[in-house]
Amino acid sequence: MALRTVCTTALRTGTDLGVNNVRTFVTTVALCRRTPPLGPMPNDQINIKSLESLEKYRSYTRYLRRAEEAKKQPVWWKTYRGYVEQADPDHGAEHVDIGLPYYRARRTTEVRERRQAMRDNKKNTELERTTRLRTYKIDLDRVQETWEESCAPFHIKRLAEHYGVFRDLFPMAYFLPQVFLHIRYGQNSSGQVHYGNRLTPAQAVSAPQISFDAEEGSLWTLLLTCPDEHLQDSEAEYVHWLVGNIPGGAVQAGDELCHYLPPFPARGTGFHRYIYVLFKQQGPIGFQEDVRPSPCLSLEDRTFKTTEFYRKYQDHLTPAGLAFFQSQWDESVTDTFHNTLNMREPVFEFIRPPVYHPPQVKYPHRQPLRYLDRYRDGKEHTYGIY
Amino acid sequence: MALSGLNRCVRRLLGQIQRCRPIVATNQTARCLSQAASQPEPSADENEAVNPTFVNRNPRNLEQMALAVKDRGWKTTWPHREFYHRLVFSRTQHHVTAQVFSSSSPVPVLTCSTTEWAMKKELASTRCVAACQAVGEVLAHRCQQAGITRMVYRSIPWEYRSDAVQAFRKGMKDGGITLSEPRRKYVGT
Repeated sequence: MALRTVCTTALRTGTDLGVNNVRTFVTTVALCRRTPPLGPMPNDQINIKSLESLEKYRSYTRYLRRAEEAKKQPVWWKTYRGYVEQADPDHGAEHVDIGLPYYRARRTTEVRERRQAMRDNKKNTELERTTRLRTYKIDLDRVQETWEESCAPFHIKRLAEHYGVFRDLFPMAYFLPQVFLHIRYGQNSSGQVHYGNRLTPAQAVSAPQISFDAEEGSLWTLLLTCPDEHLQDSEAEYVHWLVGNIPGGAVQAGDELCHYLPPFPARGTGFHRYIYVLFKQQGPIGFQEDVRPSPCLSLEDRTFKTTEFYRKYQDHLTPAGLAFFQSQWDESVTDTFHNTLNMREPVFEFIRPPVYHPPQVKYPHRQPLRYLDRYRDGKEHTYGIY
Repeated sequence: MALSGLNRCVRRLLGQIQRCRPIVATNQTARCLSQAASQPEPSADENEAVNPTFVNRNPRNLEQMALAVKDRGWKTTWPHREFYHRLVFSRTQHHVTAQVFSSSSPVPVLTCSTTEWAMKKELASTRCVAACQAVGEVLAHRCQQAGITRMVYRSIPWEYRSDAVQAFRKGMKDGGITLSEPRRKYVGT
């Protein structure tokens, strides 16, 4: 009380003087409890008495790099990332590699050839002139070809982790997709399936043309699945296409265990992932249990779990190739629901998850009266009614 | 994400639907490419069983619909963290690197660097302005293939005006990438 009167008198003197920007001295520092920190504070080690002897950064990029590294260090105070990782049940668990072993031969000749190629590039006058005049246009197709041979498996694996493909299809496991899948819907390049690009269901209405590098006499299995589409169980997938015992690179010559069904992402549900997985077989496999009747239009028959399928045949199959695309609703999906699946079309809308409130406490300290309304479970608010 | 079913299409009273015809599951042989269907079609009622709550597990779905939460705050520091994907462009003494990060992890989602053999093969010099433009074009191509077409690029202010950064931005924009993100939609709050 005495403090408050001091403050108000100070204010009065400020306005009496005709000055508006006089601020009072806030004395709340003495009112709150001060406790020592629970661990070492950052920049403790810096000796503030002798700042001249400290090593300076002298450049912004050097500071930025150190700051990025410092962000990744573990700290003793609570962070948002810490909370998120705690909530995630399988954070930090060991993931198993279920793919083909990645083998690289001795690279001495390759390195020598590459160095020679780089030296030739430097001597190439045409290339040097276009580089100097900044008119050089890089050939994207050639870069794509070289990339497919060299770093594509790692990049596709990173993207697949970002899209949650391994988390949903093969929990606690991953694989390096060493066989590159060329999948194309239609004739032009806009219908190609890469690793996450957007296609419309109208483009994907019929089975695509597939090609991949395969030696003679090898057998493969191709699976097209969608983990997001299931209308009843959110943990299950729908299998759209399953072809087994594919000889060489010809998908037409394989046994079609489940015929091709075009994608049907329901309206209002957003983007669904459609994932092509190519498995390498050790020998011919009899897929008697997984054969579906020829036009399999029953969604219950198409309910699928890649984990169980893989577990059944894991001694004979190894995942070797991966490609996926995203698709959202358009008018052709209505036709698929009405004509092909012979059912009415479901339509959904987005519901935001409820706001988080901490567990209710019997004596809430410094909370307003509407604290009780937060735990009233959707009944009418009782404040603000006059 | 949780969704609710609208009543237009999925209203059904429990226990009052009669099955029309039972399904006979015939076990056909493996090779069934051209054989016509011989058993009756599944009755519409079995397919119409739909859960009123739909969960889409695609982690990129909400951000593509601009409904996902962005990390707000951080307005008093630089750079801010209010994005779904961000672009980082760095030049070292010998190489040029561009990386795309998502807001959730410190591991980059996409990278394009002149250290890769695919780029070194095509370029005379891996540190010049033409190399920066090439890196921009190739990264834009990869982003289009990966379905990430919108991202935030906050460059260091005094480096923004340099020819290299401008060439890189030009390469990205010519490849069809938009260097801004859609504003978040606030639905239902």
